[in-house]
Amino acid sequence: MNPKQLACVVLMMFIGAMTYFAQIVHKKVGTMKKSATMAKQDATTAEGSRQAAEILTTRTKVETEELRRFLQAWVPYVDKAQTEQEVESTIEFSLRDRGITLVRSRKTEVKASRENKFIPKSVLTTVVIEDEYAKVLNWLGDLEKRLPMARVKACRFTGGSSARQLRLDISLETPLINLAGESAAKTKKKA
Amino acid sequence: MSDYVCHDFKTPRTDTSKRLPNSFKLVPVAFYVALIGGTYFMTNDWLAYKRAQDEKVAAENVKKDHETAIQKLTEEKTALDAETGKAQEVARWMEGARNVQPLSVAIARSMPPEVRMSDLTIERSDQVPSNLSLSLRINGGTANDVALIESSITRLNYRSYSPQQSKTGDVVEYRSTLVRQEQ
Repeated sequence: MNPKQLACVVLMMFIGAMTYFAQIVHKKVGTMKKSATMAKQDATTAEGSRQAAEILTTRTKVETEELRRFLQAWVPYVDKAQTEQEVESTIEFSLRDRGITLVRSRKTEVKASRENKFIPKSVLTTVVIEDEYAKVLNWLGDLEKRLPMARVKACRFTGGSSARQLRLDISLETPLINLAGESAAKTKKKA
Repeated sequence: MSDYVCHDFKTPRTDTSKRLPNSFKLVPVAFYVALIGGTYFMTNDWLAYKRAQDEKVAAENVKKDHETAIQKLTEEKTALDAETGKAQEVARWMEGARNVQPLSVAIARSMPPEVRMSDLTIERSDQVPSNLSLSLRINGGTANDVALIESSITRLNYRSYSPQQSKTGDVVEYRSTLVRQEQ
């Protein structure tokens, strides 16, 4: 092979290498363009999802506003009755405040509920009092006002030891609500 | 000096190598074309690559922003759902914790002075806590007095369900389930 032929071969090899390199670069550009298009599509999809999430959140916020306001209104009362002692002292204070002197019996026990994490405990109180008709009824009203979340499970009014006296046997359940806990509905969903 | 002139350089010489065929003369042209074309296309490709890369990064950033926003919104919704669940739970509890005192006062007030109520019991149902079981015993009462009690209960938005009354001598016994009526 003479030098001229050799020079031609070298040039042709150079041309080939350049074409090959240009092709590789072009392919890479194509791949990058595809990736960019995919990324744009993903961004558009994400924007759609964001809009959907925004709509859903706003709708939930509007639909549940009344309920959430209701909860906020009850939070102070929930905070007031968080322990057995707080419930007992409220009843004690109410009895003293209303001048109920004859308390025949008073019993308190704590009932625990493992399933309900929102109301894990409740205080069951049984009180038997005897006093004048008006005082007894006013005391009951006062107690229900002081412990608005307490549920009167049973109450029985009967005649007292004298004609003017009224006897009241009452048992009430006060929930010790754990606002940090999950609601029962959520617990059921998980199960 | 010799008279003989040497024209050594002027003597025709044969080629040291063979001439290339004519078609091979295009090879250098093709080389230049490839050089210029390659530079042009590769520059264009390089620019397009950079542009696509920038677009991809920008789109990925936008996607990331959207995803962060979605996550925040999802967390907000989860918090709202949790709060709503708690509110429903409290509402359900409160539905069964309506005050009993106004009921007992209303019943006591509906009694005429000559009638004596000897026993009044109000019990809450375990299954449906908003329902109350009422039982009372009145001495010297009549069916009219029971009607008065029922009307006083109705005024407090309770409906008397399956009421029963019996009279033994002077004593009238009345039993009923009180169901809360929503307005």
